[in-house]
Amino acid sequence: MLEVNGIYKNFGDLQVLKGVHLNVEKGEVVSIIGVSGSGKSTLLRCMNLLEEPTFGEVWMEGRLMTPVDPYLHEDVIRASNTFKKLVADGMNDTDAIHKIKDEDLLKEKRKGAEGAEYAALMQKIYDENHIDINLGRQKMGMVFQNFNLFNNKTVKENITLAPVKIGKQRLKAAKKRGEKTVKTPADIEAEANARAMQLLERIGLQDKADVYPSTLSGGQRQRVAIIRALAMDPDVMLFDEPTSALDPEMVGEVLDLIKDLVRSGMTSVIVTHEMGFAKEVSDRVIFMHDGVIAEEGTPDQVFNHTKNPRCKEFLSKVLY
Amino acid sequence: MTLGSFLTNIINIMAKYWQVFLLRGIGYTLLLSIIAVAGGAFFGSIFALLKRSRIVVFKAIISAIVSVVRGTPMLLQLYIGVFVFPMIIPKLASLPYIYSVTIVLIINSSAYVSEIIRSGIEAVDPGQMEAARSLGLTQHTAMLSIVLPQAIKNILPALGNEFIMVVKETSLASTFFVGELMTSYLLVKGNTYLTMECLFIVGVLYFALTFILSKGLAAWERRMKAHA
Repeated sequence: MLEVNGIYKNFGDLQVLKGVHLNVEKGEVVSIIGVSGSGKSTLLRCMNLLEEPTFGEVWMEGRLMTPVDPYLHEDVIRASNTFKKLVADGMNDTDAIHKIKDEDLLKEKRKGAEGAEYAALMQKIYDENHIDINLGRQKMGMVFQNFNLFNNKTVKENITLAPVKIGKQRLKAAKKRGEKTVKTPADIEAEANARAMQLLERIGLQDKADVYPSTLSGGQRQRVAIIRALAMDPDVMLFDEPTSALDPEMVGEVLDLIKDLVRSGMTSVIVTHEMGFAKEVSDRVIFMHDGVIAEEGTPDQVFNHTKNPRCKEFLSKVLY
Repeated sequence: MTLGSFLTNIINIMAKYWQVFLLRGIGYTLLLSIIAVAGGAFFGSIFALLKRSRIVVFKAIISAIVSVVRGTPMLLQLYIGVFVFPMIIPKLASLPYIYSVTIVLIINSSAYVSEIIRSGIEAVDPGQMEAARSLGLTQHTAMLSIVLPQAIKNILPALGNEFIMVVKETSLASTFFVGELMTSYLLVKGNTYLTMECLFIVGVLYFALTFILSKGLAAWERRMKAHA
């Protein structure tokens, strides 16, 4: 459902991600653990392109959100002038492809350098699969470590802003295409408001609908942030250390809400330092080290039977 | 000159020329300031957004304008404006100087306001933009409904200062006799030969104007703060 393919991410000279493949299935709950600086948060942020991967592709429900990465498509490499030249120089096919991949030989930066066949194939793959980045993001809810509620909006406005704006955009687009629409902008607002109140009731904060986020506690803010993401009816939720900025006594209420969500079948990717939580809710645990996935498996496999020395060392240092 | 005769002179001047000071002088000063700041806020926002855009040409042009405006005296800009704008826009040649002066004031104010707004935008937590984008809102919508309102709230004090600065800077426009408060001084002094008295009146009026403005802006700021 959500697939990242061969993701590399460089910040200047610093390589944070060094080739990560991850496929999250529908309904699956994936926890990502690891020491600070191992690239867990960067990986999560690459999934909805808050960070643009340097190489690699992100696929959401079979649609491509990033540009095409030629190194992931053998047919594209075969169409390139560089490949043709290597083969003409007497190298065999497999070696040429490996050499191109390993040494980053495609000169795609200069347009047309790899020939018309290459360019046409790249364009074809892009046109067939690409989805607008904003459309992709509408299907992914993101929860941040620092909540990031909109300070200039009330709690209810925080929740309704995106559904209302995007609902109206869709309405406008439908009208432009000449489709008959039954809904009016007022209907969209009314629906969003009703949904917001329903969500607020779910977390027991309906009496806070009209206050500003600055008056809420950390735990309340994070719970509002979670239902703000839910208001877009996402197909997958991304949690970026959702409890790391909370006071200890508020961690529980946020974890309970996430647990609740996960149990209702929400596909989730959770970057967390709460090992007990990861062990309890995950279908799959991923241990990241130094920009790659170093260990991966069921919670039992990773927490109790790992063979990976880095993972063992990490788990021995954290209490859970 | 005794204090008594000084005060009597002031009263006499005000009795005869109050319209020149209070209506024309203050009127034009306020008019010029409001147009300059409103235009400055409008074009300044556009400048600030262009400077943050990815298009290098825009960035370079805006940086150049801002550097030149901030690096040269206002009076020089007024001179250049008054002589150059009518050459570019022939229509201006037949109009009073005040039109060219207004354009210069707007450009000047835009440059300063754009820097204020840019710093205001940069002071907003990047997480706000990220949260908006993560919900699928466009860059444009996120900027307009989330980042800019917060930026404007942050920069209200600086914008208020800019407004007060502009009120005082319009006095330079008196070089071209456009009718604002300092022009009133030149007019009345020319008729009465009472330099000190006229300067005193104009000084009190400028002070009163900026004082009321700063108090008014402070009250407005408090209200804005109370609303979030």
